[in-house]
Amino acid sequence: MRAVLNNARLSALVHEPLPAMPVVAALQSIVPDGVLVRGRTVLCSGDAAVSLALLVVAAATQAGSWLAVVGVSNLGLLAASEQGVALQRTVLVTPADNQREWASTVATVVDGFDVVMLEISRDITVSDARKLQTRVQTRRAVLVVVDTARRPAGQSVFMPDVVLHTTTQQWHGLDDGAGHAQSRDVRVQVSGRRVPKPTQHCMHHVG
Amino acid sequence: MIGTDVTRVAVISCPDWQAVAAQCELQSRSRHEPCVAVLHAQRVVARTDGAASRGVLIGMRRREAQAVCPELHIAAHNPERDRLMFEPVVRAVGELVPLVEVSTPGVILLATRGPSRYVGGDEVLAARLHAIAQSALADISAGVQIPFGVSIADGRLTAMIAAAQSARNREPVVIAVGQSVQCLAQLPVAVLSDFAEVDRGVVSLLQRLGLAFLADIVAVKPAVLIGRFGPVGREMHRLASGLDRNPPITVAPPPEHASTHRFDAPVEDVNTIVYVARGITDELVGHLGAHGASCVRLHICMQTDHGEQTDRVWYQPEGLSAAAMAERVRWQMEAWVAARGVTSGVVLLRFNPVGLRAREGRQLGLWGGTTQADEWAARAIERLTATLGAESVQVAQWRGGRDPAEVFVLTAASLVDLEHRGEPSPVGKRAWLGALPSPSPSRVYDEPVSVLVLDADYKPLTVSGRHELSAPPAQIKIDQRVYDVISWAGPWPVEERWWDPLRQRRMVRMQLVITRNTLPQALLLVLEFGKWWVAASYA
Repeated sequence: MRAVLNNARLSALVHEPLPAMPVVAALQSIVPDGVLVRGRTVLCSGDAAVSLALLVVAAATQAGSWLAVVGVSNLGLLAASEQGVALQRTVLVTPADNQREWASTVATVVDGFDVVMLEISRDITVSDARKLQTRVQTRRAVLVVVDTARRPAGQSVFMPDVVLHTTTQQWHGLDDGAGHAQSRDVRVQVSGRRVPKPTQHCMHHVG
Repeated sequence: MIGTDVTRVAVISCPDWQAVAAQCELQSRSRHEPCVAVLHAQRVVARTDGAASRGVLIGMRRREAQAVCPELHIAAHNPERDRLMFEPVVRAVGELVPLVEVSTPGVILLATRGPSRYVGGDEVLAARLHAIAQSALADISAGVQIPFGVSIADGRLTAMIAAAQSARNREPVVIAVGQSVQCLAQLPVAVLSDFAEVDRGVVSLLQRLGLAFLADIVAVKPAVLIGRFGPVGREMHRLASGLDRNPPITVAPPPEHASTHRFDAPVEDVNTIVYVARGITDELVGHLGAHGASCVRLHICMQTDHGEQTDRVWYQPEGLSAAAMAERVRWQMEAWVAARGVTSGVVLLRFNPVGLRAREGRQLGLWGGTTQADEWAARAIERLTATLGAESVQVAQWRGGRDPAEVFVLTAASLVDLEHRGEPSPVGKRAWLGALPSPSPSRVYDEPVSVLVLDADYKPLTVSGRHELSAPPAQIKIDQRVYDVISWAGPWPVEERWWDPLRQRRMVRMQLVITRNTLPQALLLVLEFGKWWVAASYA
C-alpha cells in the first residue's frame, strides 16, 4: 500500500507531461494547463459558445487530429474555416432522433475521433452523459460540448472538467450604417472540476 | 509479339456520360437543355456535345465555361445518378453477354472470346452490341442524341481508344487480332492521360522530351523509363506495347470462407447482405495482401432461393479495398432489384478475384500511408455511414460563393476520397467580390427566420431601388418579441446571376447588433422577396 502511494507521489513529483493537444495562442492563457488535455470534457456556453468552441478545437485539427461535429445545427462552415479548423479532417454527423440510437452513435464517434464537438440536445439524460464522458476518458479523446442556451453554468447534464462561459460585452466595427462587424470583446468565465479557482478573462475575439 | 496475357475485349463507351446523364435527368423533368456541363472540384469534368461545340472544355472553371456558353446549365457531380442512369444499358448488354464489367458509369467492358464465337465473329458481335446500346440509350434519352461507341480490340487501352473513335464515326470499330500494337504506335502520347489515367504532367514531360508518339515510348528501354519516372515508367511502357497496365500475377485461390458465403435462410435485406459481404471481403483482402497482391478486377456472383443469379465484374485500377468491394455488392444488388431479377431472398454470395496486381509501396489499401488517427477516423466514418446512412455523415467541400451558406457544400463522406483530399478551405484565395466581410457568422440558418425590422416611428423598414434605407433601423421583432437595435451596418446589395431567370437572386444584406437579455448580439439580416429574414447569427 505504501509502495503504491510512494509511486503515486513520485510520479507526481516527476511531473509527466499530460497527454494533450494544442490550443491556439489566444486561448493558452485562458484554458487550464494551456492545452486540451485528453480525456477531458470542455463545456462552451453563453452567447459566443459556437465561435469559441471552434477556436478551442482549431489547433488540434491543424496538428492532425480528426474532428467530428455531432448534431451542431446550422454550423457556419466558413466561420469554422476562419477560426482555423482544418476542414479536411472534419466530419459532420447527424445523429438519429431517438435517444438510444443517439447514444450508440455518439459512442461510435468517440471511438473514432480525437475531438468531438457536440451540441446538447434537449432529451439527453444524466446517465447518457455520464457514460459518454467515461468513454471519452478511456479513449483519451476530447469532448467539446456546445450549449448556447442561456442557463447558468453548472446546470448541465455533463460534469465538465472545464467550463468556458462566454458573455459578449461589445461589438466593434459597426457604426450606424458604416463599417461591418469586425470583432467583439468577450468575457470568458473559466470554471469546472479541473479548475480549482474560477477565473475571468477578457478576450478580444474575431468571429 | 503480344503475349498471351492480353485478352480481347469489347468496349461500349458513352463519352462524357456524367453530363449526358445530367441532361437526360433534366429531360425527364421536361427541361430541354442542350448545353450541360458537370463540375467537380471547380472544374468541368464532363460536358455534352452541345456545350463542347460552343467551346466548353474539360478542365475549365465555372466562370470561363459560362463566359463561352452563357446558356450553359451546370449540373452537380452525382456518381449515384450516373450509375443508376447507366444501369438500363448494362442490363440490355447483360442479356446477350451475362458477364460484363462496369468500371465507371458510361463504360462497359466484356471479354469477347465466348460471345464472339456464339454470335459468329467479332464484326457481328460489334454490330449486335451497337444495336443493343442504341436501343437502350434511346429509351433513356427521351429524344436526346447520346453519343456512344462500340469497339473490339486486343487489350483495354486499344479498345477504349477505338471506342472513342467509334463514337465520332457512329459505327462500330473492330481492330483485327494482333493489329493493336500497330494502331497504338502511331497515336500521340496524350492518349495515355485521356484513356489510361496517366498524369497530365508526365505526358507533358514526355512531349518535351521528344517522345511524341507511343512508338517512341516502346523504342525506349523499360529500365530507362523506370529510372526516369519510377513505376509509372513501367506502366507507360506496358501500355504503349499494347499490354495491360500491370503484369498479371497469380496467387493461391482464396480459401472457401474468404470467397463464398451461404446464408442459412434467404436474406432479403440489402444492408444485411452488405454487412456479411464486408466480413468476407475483409478476409479476402487479408488473404490477397498476405500474398502481396491486391484485387483490381472482382467478379461478384449472387444467387437467390429461386435459382436466379447475377454476375458482374468490377474494375478499379488502383485495387479494390474491402469497403469498396462491399460497396460494389450494394450497387450490384440495387441494380438487380431495379431490373426485377429478384423474386426471393439471396442464399449465396461469391467473390472471385479475377484480376490481381502486385502490391507496390504506394498501393496500400484505401487509407494507406496515413496516421493512426486517420485510420481510426476512417473506420468510424465507415461504421457511422453503415448505421446512419450516407447522408448523415458529411464532409465540407469548398465551392465558393457570396452567401456564407454557399461557400462550402456538404457531401456524403463515403463518396469522397478523404485520403487524397487537400485542404478544402480557400487558402490563399481571396473571398469573392461581394462576399460577406470576415469574420463570418458561426450559425448559418438553413431555413431563415422571418423578422420585422422597424424604424423609430414603428414603420417597417424598406430599401429603395437605389439601395437606400427608408430610415435607420431602431427595433426588430421576432416571434412577437421586440429587440432594440444598438448599431447596424449596410445595406449591402447582392445581385447574382441576373442573366438566368431561374437562378437569379436579388437581395440586400444588413448587419445588426441587437440587445438580447441586456447583452449585445450580432445578426445578419437579408431582405429578399420583399421580406426581412435572419439569415445567420454570430453565436
